[in-house]
Formats: sequence, C-alpha cells, structure tokens
Amino acid sequence: MSWPVHIIGTSCISPQPSFDRDVLEEVVAYDRHPLRAITPELKRYVDPVRGRRMARVSRFGMACALNALERAGVKEPGGIIVGTGLGCMESTERFLETMIANDEMMVNPTAFIQSTHNAVAGQIALALKSRVYNYTYLHKGLSFTSALFDAFVQVRDEGGRDLLAGGADIITEDHYAIQRRTGSLKGEQVHNLEVLRSRDRGAIGGEGSAFFVLDQRPRHADDVRLLDVDIRFAPALPDAAEHLHTILDRNGVGPDVIDLVVLGQNGDVEADLAYAPAMRLFPRATIAAYKLLSGDYYTANAFGTWYTWSALRSGRVHPEVRLQEGRKGPYRRALLYDRFRGGDHSVVLMEYG
Amino acid sequence: MEGSVHILGMGVISALGNNVEENLHALLAERTGIGPITRLDTRHRDRLPAAEVKMDNATLAELAGPADPRSWTRTALLALIAARQAVRQADLATDEGRVGLISATTVGGMDSAELIYPQFFHDDAPEEVLRFLGTHDPGDHSERVAMELDIQGLVTTISTACSSSANAIMLGARLIRAGRLDVAVVGGADALSRFTVNGFNSLMILDERPCTPFDRDRKGLNLGEAAAYLVIASERYVHQHGMPSLARVSGYANTNDAFHATASSPEGEGAFLAMRGALELAGVAPEDIDHINVHGTGTLNNDASEGRALERLFGDRVPPFSSTKTFTGHTLGAAGAVEAVYSALAIREGAMFANLRFRDPLEETPALVPVLHTRTGQRIRHVLSSSFGFGGNNTSLVISAR
Repeated sequence: MSWPVHIIGTSCISPQPSFDRDVLEEVVAYDRHPLRAITPELKRYVDPVRGRRMARVSRFGMACALNALERAGVKEPGGIIVGTGLGCMESTERFLETMIANDEMMVNPTAFIQSTHNAVAGQIALALKSRVYNYTYLHKGLSFTSALFDAFVQVRDEGGRDLLAGGADIITEDHYAIQRRTGSLKGEQVHNLEVLRSRDRGAIGGEGSAFFVLDQRPRHADDVRLLDVDIRFAPALPDAAEHLHTILDRNGVGPDVIDLVVLGQNGDVEADLAYAPAMRLFPRATIAAYKLLSGDYYTANAFGTWYTWSALRSGRVHPEVRLQEGRKGPYRRALLYDRFRGGDHSVVLMEYG
Repeated sequence: MEGSVHILGMGVISALGNNVEENLHALLAERTGIGPITRLDTRHRDRLPAAEVKMDNATLAELAGPADPRSWTRTALLALIAARQAVRQADLATDEGRVGLISATTVGGMDSAELIYPQFFHDDAPEEVLRFLGTHDPGDHSERVAMELDIQGLVTTISTACSSSANAIMLGARLIRAGRLDVAVVGGADALSRFTVNGFNSLMILDERPCTPFDRDRKGLNLGEAAAYLVIASERYVHQHGMPSLARVSGYANTNDAFHATASSPEGEGAFLAMRGALELAGVAPEDIDHINVHGTGTLNNDASEGRALERLFGDRVPPFSSTKTFTGHTLGAAGAVEAVYSALAIREGAMFANLRFRDPLEETPALVPVLHTRTGQRIRHVLSSSFGFGGNNTSLVISAR
C-alpha cells in the first residue's frame, strides 16, 4: 500500500520576507554576511514567559512550526520531526564557557537543559500537549532532509496523517568562528545576489527555519504533491547525474519532464563545480540557486524546499536567482538537489497542478 | 510494511568490556562497571562514580583501527569499535543491496571539544587542536564510521537525548519494513565528558554512590560511556544470504510525554503509551512479555514515573524487570542500543540480568521488586526494552526470539 503525499501547509523564517507567506514578493539584497533571519512577531506563537527560558533556535523553530500547522489547518499533528544541524549549539556554547571559566563549580543547569538537541521538538510537543512521535535529526547537510524523509515515509509507506517536519538553525558566535577558521566562509563584505560570480572559495553564512505539514489528503485544490525525498551520504559519488537519474527512474519520469530545478550552489568556486553534471541533465528546465537568498547553513535546504514549493505555487522564479532560463511558469514538476560539503546529497521531487 | 526485522550482528563496548562476550560475562557474574572516575579529568572525580571504558584514546584507536586516527573523537572511536563487531558478526557485504547506517548520540564529539575549546579561537592554535574543528558535530561520528565501513547510502544521525539510539533502531526497523532498506547498521555512541558530568550534576540527579534504580533510597543516576550497534535486516535479506538470525526487532514505538523539558509525568503517560505501542506493533499481549529491561536510571522522578507506567500496563503481573544501568551507568545516546543488545542476549542465554544493589521498593509502587540476582535457564521469548529522555522523549522496543 502506498499513499499520496500532499504538502498541506508550510512556514518559513529566513533572511527574506517569507514568514506567513506563500511567495516572496521581492528578494532582499544584502551587502554583508552572514545573512540574519528576519524575526517575525514571535509572541503570537511563543508564550513570552516560557520564551525567555527557551533558546533562540527553539523560539524560532516553534513559531515556524506552529505557523505551518495553522496554515495547514491542523491542530494535532500525527508526528513532530525536526532537523537541525547545530541543535541548541548556542546553549551548548554558553554552558561550556561557564563550566570552563568556573572550573566546574557553580554551573547553572538552565543552559544544559536548553542544550539538549531535541529541545525544539520537545518544546513544540509541550506547547501542543502532543504525545505523538517526536524525533530530532542532527546530521550536517542531511538534518532537515532526514526529517522530511521520515515524514514522507510515514505518509507514503505507513499511512500516517498530518506529519509536521521542519528544519531550524541559527548562527552562533562560536560556530561562526569555527567556520571562518576552516575557511568555509567568505569575507564579510559580500553581495548575496552576486555570490555565484565570485572567484574565491567559501560560502555565505545564513540562518532560518522552515516547516511543512504532509498528509495523504489535500486540503486545497492547489496543494503541491511530494513525490520523493532521498538522503544519501556519498563523498565518493563522482557524478550526481546518475544518482538523479535513478531517483527520476523510480518515479517513472525522465529529466525532460522536470520544469524547474533548484540547486544548492553557495558561491564556493570549487564546491559549486559539483553541480555541473546536474545542470547538464536538465537542458530545458529553469534552474535556480536558492542559497543566494538564505545563505548556506546545515538546514538551508529547508529554505530551498520552501522556495521550490513557493515557485511551483506561484509559477515564478525570481530573476536574481536564475542560473538557466528554461521553461516558463507555471511549472508542473520541480526537483531540488543539494550537495552539502561534498558528501551529503539531498533530493526532493515535487509536482503541482 | 510486512515481514520481520532480524538482528544479524551485534557489537558493544562499555565499562563491562570491549565486546559482546565480555559484556555478557560481567552481566552473568554480576560485576558492575561503575566505580571511581579514573580517566576523565574532572573536578568531581573523587565524589561521583561513573562507568568508564578504562582505555585511553590511543588504545581505543588501536582497537578501532581507523585509517587515520589523529582527528577521531572518543565518541567516534567507541562507535567504530562496536559497529565493526556488529558488521563482522553479520558478515555484512556493504556493496550488496540497500545498506543504511543510522547512528545516535547526545553530545557527539564533546569529549574532544571541551578539551580544546579554550584554544580553538586563538590565532596561534596548534595543529593538534585545529584538526578537531568540526568533530563536535553529532553527524561527525556517523560519517566517519560510514566511511570506514564503506557504507554509502542512507546515513543519518538522531539526537533525542537518552532515547537516541533506541530511536535509531526504530528508524532502521521502520525503513526495512517499509522496503526502503534491506539491511542497516543501527545504534549509538557517547563518550563520557565533563560537559555531561557537570550538566547532570547541576541538575542534582547524580548519585554519589553506585546507583540503585527502583530502590526507595535511590539518589540519582551514574553516567557511563559506551557504544553499541546492531545489524538488522529484512526477512528476504536473511533468506537470500542464509544468515542466522539472532533475534527479531518485533515492536517499537516513540511517544512524547509532553509534560516537562526534563521531568517525566507522575502517571508516566508517555512511557505507558510507548510500551503499549511497542507491544501492539509486535502483536503480543502484556502477559507474553517475559522480561523487561527498564529505563531505570535511578533518579527519583524516572523510576516513580516508569514504575507507575509499568503498573498501568501490566497491572499486578509486571514481568521480571531489571535496570542494567546498575552495571553500565547511564550511557545516554548509547543506552538504547546497549540495552537492545542485552535484551537479545537475554533471549539467547535464557538469562535475566540483575538489578544490582536493590533493597526496598518504592512507596508509590510497593509491589515492584526487580530481578535481584542474575537468573539463567529461563525461557525468554519477548523482552521489552525502554529508553526515556529529556524533551519528554519515550521509546520502547520489543526484542523477540527469532
């Protein structure tokens, strides 16, 4: 038995004006990075008293999750699944600093409690008084797509209903410093919309959260269908085209029916070469690069998934992010491909109309 | 969604020993791994006991044998040692069929991060520090183990506090039943760290003596470190490869207590729902459960809540139960997998392992007396194994005879 999977609600917090919207009216240009998420009015979703005791990533993630449920018209999700690359790293850093500075004496437990990586999913369950399935994935570039894959499997293979899945990460001071140190970021003065023309290594940093509600039954005539989600760790994968072919094959479609391709280029001149085979596979599709808008971070592909969904719904891709002018909207089928730091491959396939 | 999920291989390294048989011997001999902290450099070492793997990282690296051990965290080394054992026993060919690796951890490479943290951000940080940049990441150990075992495919990492590796087993079993994987390496690892010692200490839930789960006089838990992995496979894979099945993962469920960030509800609602859900999926009645490997941390809150949940599910016929955390300490992200291995061993050996140091039952649940001494010669068909964690995360597994 196999069930169809509809995206019945979404929410996205990002450096773009995406919150509580179906589509970006315009894209925001920045002249320095990391790109910070535009903070929505949180108090509608997060009790201010409780919020003070929550880490920033938890407040963000919770507002985004509850907004997605609201937009889907779902009060009681069938599962709560969160992907986060860093988890509650901000609290981890704070606890670690205090522990070392105080030589293991007089350590306050609040930061430790908040540092538990499943705090976001736990807080969502608490807010909803929800006793359902509650998972948290922390696996670098596959963190969000693991969560989406889990929800997809629950609906498609297991007949689950109203699954909530999302990603959330925020920039933390220490992690940002570490990324600088490892050379994975560019210098601060960068124009986000021009980053793919850069000739140097490193990405632009970012942060955000995006949540999706999946169900067998569409709620609106124009709900997007999720056809497939694939996560794969394969650092030695020489050619992504074959991998993408396999995924398209098992869905009974060829590359020629994909109208829109959304890719994970981040402006790192060497890493971006890995997308060339994927681009060649879709000569007639419109191709877009979403990390210009969100910055690059572990769960940036949650924004990418949202952007793909939004482009299907609106039939529009912003000219600023187009890498290849192909078919014009409205688009029927879209494929997202993200290759994070070489080894983490995520593919999301959607259909509309 | 059809068919059994079989266990083909198991590996474990804990304070009880470096492999499955050493762990079994300690369990049969009632020899605990909890004692004074001798390896971890913490201010609390003379006051708080723990269950350490008594080997330094260099020795672990020899045992694990990664291609280049220099940037391996202790968590990753423990993981590789246990995962290799499981893969060897299962004679797993990683290039045949759809092979996945699902691992779990709570603090990832914190053991290294906390040592070098003060030096990380200095411009003149030496190479021995810089090579650990990024290894704190929970996904780091999973990808390293996947590389060493030559697994390219579905690889992911779960972090749901103390239920993490029970959830890794559950996800692997689900994906096999859904026909998305043929075989999977599932489990988890956590090295002891000052971060966790101080964290749990700040919550005042660490016992200064060896822990006494389900005892009226319990004061808290002891931390431990471990890694454990299982190779699990579909019925068809087992037939095709002619491998002996050690046991089955027949039931599983994950629920949320939705009560408090770190405390369990007095009625143990989440725990009750997880245990009941796992039994339902396994298609077994409460009276079919022969033995329970309880979460049993030894904290005031957990044992009272879990005890209540046990009585709600089993009434006045709670099966013989024990907390093997009285041997291993609480190994956090590894605990669910360690205890799944012990549950499979209980079936294979016909043994129920002791809940050490128990004296008097809880006032709330006076009828709940655990297995006081390791018993052998038992007929055990179904074992229930529970792992409950912060964030209200509750997972129960049913491990059944093949």
